[in-house]
This record gives sequence, structure tokens and C-alpha cells, in this order.
Amino acid sequence: MTELLVKNACVIDPIRGINGDIMDIAIRDGRIVESVSDRAEVIDAQRCLTLPGGIDSHTHVCGTKVNFGRYMSPEDMRAGRTQRRGRMHVTSGYYVPTTFGNSYRYSAMGYTTLLEGAMAPLEARHTHEEFTATPHQDMMANTLFDGNWAVMDAVREKNVKKAAAIVGWTLNAVKGYGIKLTNPGGTEAWGWGEDLTSIREPVPHFEVTPAEIITTMIRANELLKLPHSVHLHCNNLGKPGNYQTTLDTFDLVPDLNPDRQTLYATHVQFHAYGGGTWRNICSKTEEITRSVNSKPQIVMDMGQIMFCRTMTMTADGPMEFNLHCLHHNKWSNHDVELETGSGIIPVTYSKKSAVNCIMWAIGLELALLTKSPWQCLLETDNPNGAPFVKYPEVIGLLMSKRYRDEECATLHADTEGRTSLWALEREMDWHDIAVMTRAGQAKALGIINQGKGHLGIGAEADIAIYPIRTDSVDPAREYRKVVEGFQKTSYTIKRGRVVSRDGEIIVDGANTTFWVNARIPEDLRVDNDPEFIRRFQEYYTVRMSNYPVQDLYLPRGRRVDTEAFT
Amino acid sequence: MRVILESKVRKKPTLPIEAEAIIPRNFLKGTDLLVYEGNKERKLSELFWIFVEGTAVSPENIEVVLKGDTSRIKRVGEYMDTGSILISRDIGMHCGNFMSGGTIEILGNADAWLGREMRGGTILCRGNAGHYCATGYRGEKKGMQGGKVEVFGNTGDFCAEYLAGGEVHVHGSTGDFPGVEMRGGQLIIEGDVTRPCANMKDGTCVILGRVHEMIPTFEKIDRRVLPEWKITADVYKGDVANRGKGMLMIKNPGEV
Repeated sequence: MTELLVKNACVIDPIRGINGDIMDIAIRDGRIVESVSDRAEVIDAQRCLTLPGGIDSHTHVCGTKVNFGRYMSPEDMRAGRTQRRGRMHVTSGYYVPTTFGNSYRYSAMGYTTLLEGAMAPLEARHTHEEFTATPHQDMMANTLFDGNWAVMDAVREKNVKKAAAIVGWTLNAVKGYGIKLTNPGGTEAWGWGEDLTSIREPVPHFEVTPAEIITTMIRANELLKLPHSVHLHCNNLGKPGNYQTTLDTFDLVPDLNPDRQTLYATHVQFHAYGGGTWRNICSKTEEITRSVNSKPQIVMDMGQIMFCRTMTMTADGPMEFNLHCLHHNKWSNHDVELETGSGIIPVTYSKKSAVNCIMWAIGLELALLTKSPWQCLLETDNPNGAPFVKYPEVIGLLMSKRYRDEECATLHADTEGRTSLWALEREMDWHDIAVMTRAGQAKALGIINQGKGHLGIGAEADIAIYPIRTDSVDPAREYRKVVEGFQKTSYTIKRGRVVSRDGEIIVDGANTTFWVNARIPEDLRVDNDPEFIRRFQEYYTVRMSNYPVQDLYLPRGRRVDTEAFT
Repeated sequence: MRVILESKVRKKPTLPIEAEAIIPRNFLKGTDLLVYEGNKERKLSELFWIFVEGTAVSPENIEVVLKGDTSRIKRVGEYMDTGSILISRDIGMHCGNFMSGGTIEILGNADAWLGREMRGGTILCRGNAGHYCATGYRGEKKGMQGGKVEVFGNTGDFCAEYLAGGEVHVHGSTGDFPGVEMRGGQLIIEGDVTRPCANMKDGTCVILGRVHEMIPTFEKIDRRVLPEWKITADVYKGDVANRGKGMLMIKNPGEV
């Protein structure tokens, strides 16, 4: 029995409605309890900001495409090198660090749970292997279904139940957590050398439109009672004028679930562009946020970019190819048979580029114009917009108008006229930030029941104590202190153990991988469907019996059961 | 101020020394520097006899002189920004990495990666240089961006790969693929080359010697006199396979 007592903590726990109360937190065997015995180890938080462990609801840290990013950028491995020290492995890399690098840096920032944004089902083994090597965070994997042939067949037949059964079987087979749609239909079209420009355009050879895929998958998701909603990377990412596609997509979404959103739209910054070319690109965040503000069924995340060198990686192959045509740098495209694809290219976001400056402003506008922080979560689509180590700076920008003004003054001259950031006075408070970095994520991912994202009795004892005194720091003026405070926790506690102290990792760590098992009635299961089996054997290069990920790959997997079709 | 470092005889003379600490600025505060020999951290004084002559108030007046067997010492002059380094014999790999100012003079030969990703300053190599002289490191798309590298002997393969700025002047010959992926700057080779400037995007390359295995994707546009070199040169534009805006000038082989 291990016991720990965190004393004098200034707790902000939005899920339980606690905002800045000074309290003690008792922990026994990795869970939060009423009280502990006198023998418990004591940490004095000294009235510093104490939050539930951070949750990243969309990041790319594990899997084949992240690893391909590592292959592609040996130059990045020169950055961020740290030596082996105590329990810490060597690390290297800045925007695509080693798995341990990711884990340690997230841990130092107080993050304890991550959702890998996109896992190709066929390449799930690699993702799970890297999960085990990211020891300080509990992991979940969103599974890609954007170009899944079997799903598209079901969509064409307008058979939601069949689509749900395929999704349920696949999630179970690859130990995935939720449905990810990346440029639905578009990536598959790209596999045939074609591209889609709207959500009403049919995917060649499949005769389904992205809009049909999205609506069917939303219903299938609810039929399966998955904890997370459909996680959507909209079509037309990064194209000037794409906001109309985004709005059209949002209009498709019904409100089907009282507990959480029905659609999670990710990195919306890349989907909120007006204009028609790169020369007249402008911000359309007002239209986007107006739509989101009126639709509680939608949660989005920022996809903030920050000015630095980074790597873009996504299952959106055609978009990456278009980006390559702009940059003429190294690039890669990859097709995952019958499922999806991906693309990877390095980019540098620069203040000299008007487009980059506008993108930067759009991300912040989205957060500031969305009324409820529960509906716009903070992330950079790591590493696409910026490596996650930039989160503290994003927090600083959201909390301080002065910081934003100082940054704005250094931007390209064309930015002001094409964005509305200059006019936004809103400054977020500590509570908003707590929502945008953990509570909102826990709710959106449906892991509150798993004891994540709050500090109530019975919750997992994932706690981040930041060296910030909320009573004496004025974030509007002293934003530097805020940024520094969020960069390095005094203590990061993961399942009741202190894993990181002042940025130094002190234990080996042992994470959990959450995955979803939707129980599907026998007569609907696709593994009993001879037609599904026949097509699987005919088209895949792997046998159906070899396709599922063995339990061996999840040494500490935690199954989340749902009763589908009930 | 002059700091003379004379290498001591080592038990295992082939073990590489990682000496990025040897830059003039660091000697302003004394000679208490650390370097790695293999995987062991060593004090500078364990590996060198150190002699200091005179004093200096600013790093630009510091000259570091390396004597003895220095052929296994790597990364000398890394991130150097001022002052000067004189190496009296051969030097190991990665000499002058990321250098932005000052002068390095090598009286012997230099090993591979001489002046890689240099930003400014001058490197003079009186002997030969190894492969990847004045280039970018693996994956880096902008190699040398400024300054000057002058090699009086020959260089190995991939000389000035990814050259983006500054000047590289080789008095001797180079190996295979000099100036490959060039995107700026100036490359002058007085000796012979094979397959020069493949996939060049921009910049200028002048070759006074013979070219073997010329890349076919260069377009001959002119023949002109280069008064600077007192030659008539064939002028090529290329590499047309890659939006070629580069200029490759090769001495007319008919000329003696």
C-alpha cells in the first residue's frame, strides 16, 4: 500500500466545479481517496497551482508516420539531446523526438494522458510498441477509417449497422480507442491519383461522398456507444477558402449524445481560411466560431501553429503533396492498403510569411472567439502546428493581451488587415486553461469515468503541480512567469507516484493503453459474415487471422467495454 | 593572447577526441575546459600541454595553436565566432562546424566535414580536405551559408553539397559530385571533377580543370570570357531537372 498526501494545493478542477480552493489531496494505491494514514508521504504544494494531469486529445507521438518523420529528418536528431541520467534514457530530437523524449517532455509539462491522433489499423502493432516506450503517459489510439473499403461499401449500401459492426470489429482487432476520419474519402481518392474538392463529390470507384461517410460514421459511433465521438479532420485542409467546407461539415452533425459532443473537429485552425489563393487568404474564424457556439454537439481543438521549424505528418496524403509543391523540400507519401494513406513533410513557420502569420492568428482567434472553453481545446496538432513543448507559450498568449500585442507587432504587415486578432480583448483565466488542457479533453474523450481529468474521490491520481501562485501572479502582465511555470511542473504525479520533479524524471514509468471493445450481437458480427471474410482474404495482403494485434503488444492494456446496439 | 595546445602522447592514439570546447572565446576565462576522449570526459590538461602567452581582454585577440598529433581531434572550432585557430598538422573531422566568424588555418590535411554548415568566417586548409567539405550534415537542406573555405589541395567526394551561400575555393581536384544540390553561393574548383553540380538549384560554379561524366541535365547557353580567371568558359544553366537557375561554367577544354 503506498500513500501520498499533497498538502496546501491550490486546486482547479473544472469537472467538480472547484476553482482555486486550497485543499489537501489524499492518494492511496494510485487513486484519490478521502484520507490517508499518518505514514503517508507528504508533498507540500505551497499553495501552488494544482491541476489534474494534463490530457492531450490530439497529438502524433507514436506510430509509423511519426517514425517515418524521424527517418526523414536526421538533422532533427541533433537537437534536444540529453544524456542518460538516473532513470532517464538518452533522448534526441526536437520536433520528432524519440519516444522517451516525448514522454519525458510531456511529463515535465504535467501531461499524463495522450491520444495518438491517427493510427492506421494495419500498422497498429508499431503504434502499440511505441506506446510501451512512452512510459509516462496513458495512451489511446484513434483508428483511421477514412478510406476503409469495407466501411465505404457499407456507406454506399446505407447500412449503418454494418458500418458499426466493421468499426467495432476493427477497433477490437487493432486495440483502438475511437474513430478517426482524416480527409474522409479524399485520401482514398488520392490513392487512385485523384483528389476531392468538396464533401459532396463522390469518391472515385466507391460512389460515396465524404458527407455520407461522415454522417454514417457518426451514427455508427453512437450505435457502438463508443466513449469518444467521431474525431474528424475535415476535408480540404490548408486550402484558402476551405472554411465553407468546414461549415458544411458542421451542419451535417446531429446532436445525438447528451454526455459529450457528437463530433470532435480537430485542428480547426487549418480549416478556417477564407480567400481563394495564398495571396488573398484571410481569417474566417468568426463564421466558424459562430457555428460552433450555436452547436453544443461540436467540440474542436485549435491546431495552433507557432513560429518554428517542425514536421507535418498526417493521413491526408494529397494535402501533404500540395504542400510539397509549395516547399520543394523532401516529402513522403504512403498508402496503407484498403484503409488510408499518409504524407509527411518538414516545414518552417516563419514570421516573414504573411500566410504563416495569418495561420498563427487564426488559431488564437478560434480559442478566443469560442464562448465555452469546453468547446475549443488547446493543442498544436503536435508536431504539425508546433511541437507540444510550445503549449506553455500558447497558454501565455491566451491569457495575456499584452503578450499577444507584443507578438503581433513583430508579424508580417499584412496580417492585421486579414485577421481580427488585434481587436480581441479576451484574456483567459486559470479555470479556462484548466478546461482547455485537461477537463475539456477528459469530457470529449469520454474518460471521466475512467478517473481521468478530475481529482474526485476514486479518480486516478494523475496530478500536476505547477510552480505558479495564482494569487500573486497576474497572467495578463506577468505572462513570462506563466509560460515558465507551465513549462516545468514542480511535481507530476502519475497514478499516485511522483514521476517528474522540477522537470527531472525520477521513475521508470508504466503506462496503460486504453482500448475499446464494443460488444456486438453475434448475428451482426462481421467476423461471422462470409462476404466480409471473402473480401478480406481477397484484397488484403495479410490473413484475417493474422490481422488482430496480439495481447502481447499491450502489456498493460485496459479494455473499455461498451454494449453496442442496445 | 596565444594559447598553444600541444597534444600529449596517448596510450590509445586512435581514440577520437570530441573537442568542441576548443574555440578562442572559451579561453578568455582560462584553460579549464572539458573534452571527451572516447566516452570519457577529460580535462584539457590531461590531453594537452598548455602554454599561454600574453593576455587578452576580448576573444578576437585570442589565437589558439594546436600542435602535435591532432588528426583524431574532432569538432575543433565548432560554433566559433571570433578569434583564430592555427593547426600545425592534420585535423580530425568536423573542424569549424557552424562557425560564424574568425579564422581557422590548417597547415596539414583536414578530415571529412570541414566547415560544415558554416555561417561566416574563413577556413584555410593548406593540405587536402576529406569528403563532405563545406556541406550540410545528414538531412540538412541548407549547408554552408556564408564565409569562405579555401582548400589548397584536393577534396573528397560531395564537396560543397547543399551550398547555400559563401564561397568555396578548391585549388586542387575534387572527388565525385562536387556542388551537388547547390542552392546558392559560389564554388570554384581549379582541378578536375566528376559529375559536378547535380541537381543544383542556384548559385555559381566555376571549374578550371577537366570534367568527367558531365550530368546531361545542363543546358549550354553561352560561351564567354572570364577575365578573372583569364579563360574562355562554356556556360551551362541547370540543373534543368530541378528548376535549374544555377550557373555552371567550365573552362573550354580546347584551351591550353
